[in-house]
Amino acid sequence: MTTITTGQNMGPPITPPGIAEATDYSIAPEQVSLWQDAWRRFRRNKLSMVGMVVFAIVLLTAVVSIFWTPYSLYAQGLGDVAAPLSPSHPFGFDASGRDVLSFIMKGAQVAVVVGVLTAVFTSVVGVAAGLAAGFFRGWVDTVISGITYIGYGIPNLLIAFLILFITNRPSILNVIIALSVTSWMDMARLVRGQTLALREREFVEAARATGTRNFAIMVRHVLPNALGPIIVQATFLIPAAILFEAFLSFLGFGLPSPDPSWGAMVSAGLQDRFLTYHTMIIPSLALLITLMAVNFIGDGLRDALDPRLKR
Amino acid sequence: MSRGTAIYAAKRLVLVLGTAFIVSSVTFLLVHSLAGNPFTCEKNPAGCQHEAAAYGLNDNLFIQYKNFLWNLIHGDLGYSYVNQGTQVMPLLIREAGTSLTLGLFAILVTIVVGLVIGVTAAIKQNSWIDYSLSSFVVFGYSVPSFVLATFLIIITAILLPDWANSIGWGQPQQIPLPAIALGLPYAAVVARLTRASMLDVIRQDYIRTAWAKGLSSRVVIIRHALRNALIPVITVGGPLVTAIITGSVVIESIFGIPGLGKEFVNSILNRDYGIVVGLYTFYAILVGLANLGVDLLYPVLDPRIRYA
Repeated sequence: MTTITTGQNMGPPITPPGIAEATDYSIAPEQVSLWQDAWRRFRRNKLSMVGMVVFAIVLLTAVVSIFWTPYSLYAQGLGDVAAPLSPSHPFGFDASGRDVLSFIMKGAQVAVVVGVLTAVFTSVVGVAAGLAAGFFRGWVDTVISGITYIGYGIPNLLIAFLILFITNRPSILNVIIALSVTSWMDMARLVRGQTLALREREFVEAARATGTRNFAIMVRHVLPNALGPIIVQATFLIPAAILFEAFLSFLGFGLPSPDPSWGAMVSAGLQDRFLTYHTMIIPSLALLITLMAVNFIGDGLRDALDPRLKR
Repeated sequence: MSRGTAIYAAKRLVLVLGTAFIVSSVTFLLVHSLAGNPFTCEKNPAGCQHEAAAYGLNDNLFIQYKNFLWNLIHGDLGYSYVNQGTQVMPLLIREAGTSLTLGLFAILVTIVVGLVIGVTAAIKQNSWIDYSLSSFVVFGYSVPSFVLATFLIIITAILLPDWANSIGWGQPQQIPLPAIALGLPYAAVVARLTRASMLDVIRQDYIRTAWAKGLSSRVVIIRHALRNALIPVITVGGPLVTAIITGSVVIESIFGIPGLGKEFVNSILNRDYGIVVGLYTFYAILVGLANLGVDLLYPVLDPRIRYA
């Protein structure tokens, strides 16, 4: 391995001193793909790893709450009104004597559903629009960029509220739609920019020369190369969606009563502030910790996937 | 203001009015065609008919739209549907004053806190201040404004019982809490940008020259470094204004401040079509003008930028 053998009967190979070490491939950097390299860098980021663990716990809680919560959400008067934390009810009771822990668990489910579904919807629509605009250019680009340009002049909140106002029926789906309608534009702009740069590259030309169809070029050649920034953007969409849903629910535009949202819980807790503080602090912390966790994951992913920051 | 800037401003102004026109038209048409009759007709069919007629809702949508536009160019946004007899335009102008006051204090919080932390983190690079900054930034864009507001209310209620009456508007001691709740999250963004751009600037030759001349650190940092470091930071001005307007929706509702944000929430909850359409128009103009104002600030702060 350390020497070059050119034939069987050549005797011991003559290797000038110094070359042996230089050609010692055992110390050469092992070939790693972009993704392995990114994962290695991501793992080194402690805050991101903590974020991953926290988000995993939130996901697990959301799944568990589908099948089981310690107490029923409808059971009122389980304990004293707004009673503080106790061993059997770790998060205490709310103003109706309901178990706060059960509500927090169910709230995790709402947060996860809204966050993940919005990120998925937005990514699918935004990536498709961005790919089309960047790849075909011409009138397709004019239309899509025109829509995003107008959309940028108006705060997202106003667009989302208009949609909620028109549908006039609070439901998880309407909240997700209202969020997706505004947030696909960022994704579309990002993907469009990436596509515009990638479509001029040699491998795209090569693919076209071999007769690959446009759709296949977009999906198999352009998209995989733009995936890093897309994943980062999609990760940041999750906390943005959770935050926005909480915001809507806090203001009373969110989900109807049986769907407990952390935002609505904070709002209810604020009403209880002359009784107790825990009904407000606990959902606030749940929201804050979850959002920070996902944002830390996003930060870590961005550092890991952005080659410009490579150390 | 140079001639080029004036032409640029005029062009942008036309664009702002165009956007406002599109926003108001889309809002009006969507609300009036899709959202249904705003009056509850089940209980009082006759009264409902009468009210609908008084607001011209029985007309064909096209005629309604024509009337709306005609009134709009005359600066008339019509009447509230819920508080009957209230004209929308004067109401919104009055409330905009309140929101503007709150917004300016919030921007003050953002700029002061953001710059102080950003500059300190840059000067003391790799110190604990620098390390806590990155956590503060994530905290800043993670913490929902209403969570921050509720915590501020609790903390003041516990620490300063005399201030327990901090909810409301009109007295000076009612300004700080909502201004902090509104401005602090964005201070994190400003701090991060300031830090990055300060780190860039303090390695430049002219800063070394300034130190070598024996200038005091205050003069070097503030007059030589910060002035140049600020230029990239100003780019967040536009998004900042939008964030303040968006944030004021929830902050005004929590603190009971009679501004545009509270009106926005109430009008949607009450399904007050007149105010909803008027507010959207108003907001579109407000955001457009605020962004224009920020863009016109660039050449003032950085003479290299010129609008030709």
